[in-house]
Amino acid sequence: MDSTATRTLPFVYKYKNHKGQDCESRLDITFPFDQENLEECITQLMAPNQMDPMMRYLDENIKLERELQKFVDTEQQNFLDDQAEKLLKQAANEEMDIEAIVRDTERLYKEELLQFADRVGPSDADIFAQSFHRLVHSSSLEDILKRERAYAKVVSDMTDLMDSEVETLNNSQQQEMDSQINQLDITTTSEDINNLLAQQYTTQNYVRKRYESELEAMMGHQKNEYRNWITSQVSQMFQVSPVATPLGNRSSMFVSQQPSMEESFTIHLGSQLKHMHNIRILSANVTELCSPLHAEESLNGLNMALGLYSSSLCGVVVLTPSIQAQANKNIIKNANKSTEFHFEQIDVQMEKIEKQIKNLTTEDSSGSSTSNSSAEGSGTPSPTKKSVPRLKTGDFFITKHSNLSQTHVIFHLISDEPINSPSEINSRHPVILGLRNILKTASRHDITTLTIPALLRHEMSEDMTVQWCIRRAELVFKCAKGFMIESASWGGAELSTLQLLLPDDISESLFTTLAGMVPSVFHVANPKILVDTSK
Amino acid sequence: MGTRERERECRLCAVTFFAKLHPGDVCGSNGLPLTPNSIAILGRAQKLKELQDEHLCQYLDVIRGKHERTIVVSEYLGLSLEDYAMRHPPLAIAQILRIFYQVACGINVLSRHHLVAHNVEPKHILLSSDGQRVKLFNYGLHHMTKGGAYVPFPIGNIRYMAPERLLGLNGNVKSDVWSLALVMVELILQIELWPKLKLSNVVRKILAFGKSNGALEKIAREHQCHERYVQMDQRLRQLLESCLSVLPKRRPLPGELLEHPIFEEVLLDLKKQKMQPLSPETEHLPLLLRCPLSQIYHLWQLAGGDVQAELKKEGLIRSEAPILGLPQIVRLSGASVCPGRSQAQLMDDRVVPLRLKALLQRLSGLPAAVYFPLLHSPRFPAHFARELQELPLVIREKDIEYQFQRVRLFARLLQGYPHTAEQLQREAAVDVPPLLRGPIWAALLEVVPNGSYAKIDKFTSTSTDRQIEVDIPRCHQYDELLSSPDGHRKLRRLLKAWVTAHPQYVYWQGLDSLTAPFLYLNFNNEELAFLSLFKFIPKYLQWFFLKDNSAVIKEYLSKFSQLTAFHEPLLAQHLASISFIPELFAIPWFLTMFSHVFPLHKILHLWDKLMLGDSSYPLFIGIAILRQLRSTLLTSGFNECILLFSDLPDIVMDGCVLESQKMYEATPKSITHRQHALRLQPPQALDIGVADVELKHLQQEQCPRISAKDVQFLLDNSPAELALIDLRSVVEFGRVHVPHSINIPFATVQLGEQRLEALQVPQLEAQLRGKIVVCVSNIHQHSVEFSHFLVACGVQRTCILHKGFNVLHSIEPNILISN
Repeated sequence: MDSTATRTLPFVYKYKNHKGQDCESRLDITFPFDQENLEECITQLMAPNQMDPMMRYLDENIKLERELQKFVDTEQQNFLDDQAEKLLKQAANEEMDIEAIVRDTERLYKEELLQFADRVGPSDADIFAQSFHRLVHSSSLEDILKRERAYAKVVSDMTDLMDSEVETLNNSQQQEMDSQINQLDITTTSEDINNLLAQQYTTQNYVRKRYESELEAMMGHQKNEYRNWITSQVSQMFQVSPVATPLGNRSSMFVSQQPSMEESFTIHLGSQLKHMHNIRILSANVTELCSPLHAEESLNGLNMALGLYSSSLCGVVVLTPSIQAQANKNIIKNANKSTEFHFEQIDVQMEKIEKQIKNLTTEDSSGSSTSNSSAEGSGTPSPTKKSVPRLKTGDFFITKHSNLSQTHVIFHLISDEPINSPSEINSRHPVILGLRNILKTASRHDITTLTIPALLRHEMSEDMTVQWCIRRAELVFKCAKGFMIESASWGGAELSTLQLLLPDDISESLFTTLAGMVPSVFHVANPKILVDTSK
Repeated sequence: MGTRERERECRLCAVTFFAKLHPGDVCGSNGLPLTPNSIAILGRAQKLKELQDEHLCQYLDVIRGKHERTIVVSEYLGLSLEDYAMRHPPLAIAQILRIFYQVACGINVLSRHHLVAHNVEPKHILLSSDGQRVKLFNYGLHHMTKGGAYVPFPIGNIRYMAPERLLGLNGNVKSDVWSLALVMVELILQIELWPKLKLSNVVRKILAFGKSNGALEKIAREHQCHERYVQMDQRLRQLLESCLSVLPKRRPLPGELLEHPIFEEVLLDLKKQKMQPLSPETEHLPLLLRCPLSQIYHLWQLAGGDVQAELKKEGLIRSEAPILGLPQIVRLSGASVCPGRSQAQLMDDRVVPLRLKALLQRLSGLPAAVYFPLLHSPRFPAHFARELQELPLVIREKDIEYQFQRVRLFARLLQGYPHTAEQLQREAAVDVPPLLRGPIWAALLEVVPNGSYAKIDKFTSTSTDRQIEVDIPRCHQYDELLSSPDGHRKLRRLLKAWVTAHPQYVYWQGLDSLTAPFLYLNFNNEELAFLSLFKFIPKYLQWFFLKDNSAVIKEYLSKFSQLTAFHEPLLAQHLASISFIPELFAIPWFLTMFSHVFPLHKILHLWDKLMLGDSSYPLFIGIAILRQLRSTLLTSGFNECILLFSDLPDIVMDGCVLESQKMYEATPKSITHRQHALRLQPPQALDIGVADVELKHLQQEQCPRISAKDVQFLLDNSPAELALIDLRSVVEFGRVHVPHSINIPFATVQLGEQRLEALQVPQLEAQLRGKIVVCVSNIHQHSVEFSHFLVACGVQRTCILHKGFNVLHSIEPNILISN
C-alpha cells in the first residue's frame, strides 16, 4: 500500500510591504500536512530573508495565516482525494491483493474488538481463581487452610516414608555390596559385583517409581477433591450472606519466618514527586524463602492464600545456570512436599517450559520471529547456534506456586557466573538487564514484593572478598534503585517492598557493612516530625 | 421516573480502552525510554476538551489507569440513534433529514478544527429523548490515538466504512461523509445493512463498490427495497448518491452538504425552535444543569464520583487474577512467551453512564444566589459558607458545597475581569479553587491576552535549543501532561518564545521548571501560560535571567541570610558557623521559585500565596523551609547539611505556606529592600534609596536595615511591637530621644560575653521578646556590632535603623522628646 506518498507544492504569498510595494514570500509545503506545523510555516514565510520583520508588527501574520490555512485546506483535501483515487483505481483493476486486505481486516477486528471476537467464556483457571479469591476472603478461610494442611500432611508423610524406605534399602544394599567387595577375588568376581550393582539399581528404581506413581495419583486425587470442594463451597456461599474477612489481604503483613539477620528501611525515590518503598535486607538461604508452606504451623499459609489471586503478589529471583534450564533442586523438592492445588505440579511446569525453550530455539534458527502469535513482544530474538536449545544469561523463566512459604512466583534468572571465581560485572551486564526485565514483568503483573539476590550469588565462596562483595552489592543496589525510579513511568503496579537477599553463610560484619550501604544508596526517608505550629 | 428525568441524570458517561504496549524494550531517538502510549493519548486528548458545539458531545476528562488503560469521560445525551430508531420505527423523512443535517453540522465543525471522526455509526449519534437535538459522540478517538497508531484495535464500524479507509487511507473528512450517508440510507430504506454477512464478506462488498457505479442502488437491490429507492425524493437520492460516490473527489464536503437545498426546511425549523421562548421544561431544569459541564464533572468527582468504580460496576474493568497472565519465559531482548491474551484486554465499546442523581440532590438545597452570585449588589453579599474558611485548605478543596460556591464566584469574577481585578485579588487571598487556578493566576498577574504570543517566533533555531532539548524530557516528568509528546512540544514553544521575547536575557536552566506550572494549568491555552510567565518573572525574578546575574543573585542570597538572622537568629548563627551559606543550596530554590524542588501539587499551593505577595515573599518561603528543618539543621554539621539539601526531604507545604505568610506580614517592607527588586514607585525621602545599600554592606551586616518611614509607621500605629535600642551616650539620650526607647550606651557595654544579662539592663529580654528590635546610633558601626551581639544572643527580629539617629530629626511631625 502506497500510503506514504507525499506531494510538495509551492505556496506564494503576495502582500504590500509598509512602503506600499508589492512583495511576495514563498515556501514549499509538503502534503500530507500536519496542522501542528502551520505556525512554523508562517514563521518561515515571515523569516527576515523573506519579509521585513516590521510586517509582524503590522499584523501581517494574521492575513498570512488566513491565506496559508485556506491554501493548505484546499490542497490537503485535493491530495487526500487524489491519493484515494489512485488506490481505489488500483483496487478496481486488481493491482493489489484484495484478499490480503480482507484477511487482515477481518483478523484485526476479530482479534481486537470484543464485539467481533469469538466469545470464549472465562477459562476454568479464571473461574476457579475468582471462586477461590472470594472464598478465601470469607469465613471459610480457616476451613480451607485446615484442609490444605491435612492434604499436605498426607503427602509429606508419604514422601517421608519413601525417603526412609529408600534409605533403609540403601543401607542394606551398601552392606551387601561391602561384603561382596570384601570377598572380591576370593569368592566373587568383578562381574558378580556388576550384576549386583545392576540388580540393586533396579530394586531402588522400582521402589522409587512405585512411590512416585503413588504420589502422583494421590496428588491428582487431592487436587480434584480440593477443587471440587472449593467450587461447592462457593455455590453454598452464594446462598448465605457473605461475611467479611477477618484480615486484610496485604500478604506482606506478617512474615513469621525468622531469617538470621535482617534490617528494614523506608525510602523515597524520585526527584520531585517522591514515591515510598520499603527495602529489607536480609541474609537467608533462598530455599528457606521457598520452603514448604504447610511444614510448620504458621500464618504464612493464610498470607499466601489471601494474596494468591490478589494484585499484591510476592516473587523471588533465583539464579540458575544455563547448562540446563532447571529449577533449584531443593525448591523442586519443597514444591513437591504437597499438592499444588492451583497450578500444575512444578515438574509439569518445568516440562512445559522446556518444550517452549525448544520451540524458541528452533524459531530462532529458522529466523522467523513473528510466528509465535502469542509472543507479547516482537523484538527479534538473537539467533543462537543450532541444536543447542537453551536460554542464555539474562533470560529467565517463571514458575507459579501456591504451596511455598513466601512466594507465589519464582523468577529463574539464568546466570553463568562460575562458582569459584567471582568476576566483575557492570550495569550493562545481561544479568543486570535480566533483573530489569524481571522488575518490568513484576510491574506489569502486580508483583509488589520482590526478593533479589543482592550479590547475584546464593552462596558465599572463598574468593568473594569483602571488597568484591561491597562492589557487587553497590552495583546491584544502584541498578535496582535506577530501575525502581524508572518503573514509576511504566504505568504498572508499584513495587512496595524490595527484599535484598544475602547468602545465609555471610559473616555478621559483612552483613552489617552491606546493610549500612542501603541508606546511602537509597535515600532513606526522614522521619516526619509534627510540630505544633500554633504556639 | 420519566425519561426526561433520566436524561437529566445521564449527562456524563465514560468509555474505556487499552493503549498499545510498546514491544519489547526500545528507546526513543534521544536515548530515553519511550513514552507510554496512554500518556501520548492523554496529551493529544486535551485539545478535544476545548471543542464546544451544540452538535458535539463535549470531552471532559481522560484518565490513565493501571497497565495502559485509558478512560475517556464525555458528555452524553438521551439515547443513541440505534436505540431511538428501534423505539420509533419507522422514522419520518423530515426527522431523518433533521438528524442528517445536525450530524453533518457536527462533522463540519470537526473538519473546521482539522479533525475527522472516522467512527460515525448509529451508536455514536445521540438524540435527546424528544428527538430534537442531535449530537455526535466519541468523535475524538481517531485524533487522540493519532489515527489509531496508539491503540491495538481498528477505529470505526466496518459496515459504515468508506472503501478508501479499508485500503489504509485515513484523515479524509469525506470518509465521514460516506459513513453518515450510509447511516441515513439505513434509516430511509428501513433496513439494516448486511445483517447476516460475515465480516470478511462485508469487507468484500464495500471494496466491490469500487467496480460498480451507484452504490446506493446496489444496496437497495441487495436489501430487496428497490421500490423505496425508486420512490425516494429525487433531490435526496441525488444527494445520497453523491455522498456515496466511490471516489472521494465526487463526494461533497460537509460544508457543501449543509448548503444542499433539501435542508432548507430543516434549517427553518431549527431557527424557529431557537426563537421560541424557554419551554416550561427548560425552566424547571435544575439550576446545576445550567452550569458548564466541566464544572458539573468537577463537582461530581468531589461528591465521591469515581469513574473507575463505575466502570468496574458495569464489568468493563474486569480484574483477572494477575498471576494467571504471567509469561513463562522472558528473553533478554524483552521477547516473551505468554499465555494467550485474555478477552478482558479487548476493546469493549460499551458506554457507561455516570449518574448525577446524588450530586443534584446534594446541591438542590443551595440558594440560587450561590449558583449565580451577584458581585456588585451589596444587598446580596456572597457570604455563603464563610465559616468553612477557617478549615484547613485540604479540607476546603474537598468540600463540595464550598468548592461549588468558590467555582461559581470565581467564574463570575473572571468573566468580569479586568474590571473585577480588585475583588478577585481579595477572594484569591482566601483560597483559589483548583478548577480555575490557571485563569485566576493569570488575572492575579494582571495578564490581558492580546494576541502577542502568536507574533513571537518560536521556531527559528537558536543557540539555546540544545539545552532546552536536554531539559524538557527531565522537567516534572512524573506528571502525565508534561511527559506527553504534546506537553513537550508546548513547553518547547513556550521556552523558545520567552527567549525570543527577551533579547536582554538568556536561558538559564530552571526556566523549564518555572514554566511547567503555568503550562500544566493552561495546557490548552498556551498564550495564557506564556503571558503568565511573562509577568511572573519580572515580578519575582527581576534581572535573574541576565547573562551575568551574579550581582543579582548575590544580593538576593545576602538578603536571604539577613532575613534568616532576623527571624531565626540561632539557626542563622549555626549555619554561618559551619559555613553552610545559601549559595550552596538556595540558588535553585529562588531561581525556579521552588518549582525545581517540589512536585507540582505542592508548588500550586505555594504559588497560590506567592501570587498575592510581592517580590520579597519567596525569601520567607525559604526561611519557612529552614524553620521546618530547624531541629535537624541545628544538630547537623556541614556534610550532613549538604546531604540533606541535595535531595530535599518531604516538606509539609501547608505549614510552610502559613509560616511564610505570617513572617511576610510581620516584616516591615524596608527590611526586605533590595536594589534589584522590581519597583513600582520611586522611593520617598524616608525610604531606603535605591542604591543606598551596596552588596558589601549586605554581606558585612548580619541584620537588615529598616527605614525611618517604617519606624515612624510602627511608632504611630503599633508602638507595642517596637523596641528601640538607643546606643548613644546617656547625655545625648537625655537631650533628645524617642519615647519608650531603651538607652544602652555603646561605649559602656562589653560585648565579649554573648548573654543578654551581661548588658545589665533589667528585664531586657522581656522588653525585647516578640518585638521588632531596632538598633539606633549616630555611628553606624556601633549599631552593626551591637546587632551582631543581639543575634548571637538569639534575639529575634533585630534590625538597624538606616542612616542612624539623625534621620529621625527629619520626621514630621516631630516624634522626639527630651527629658
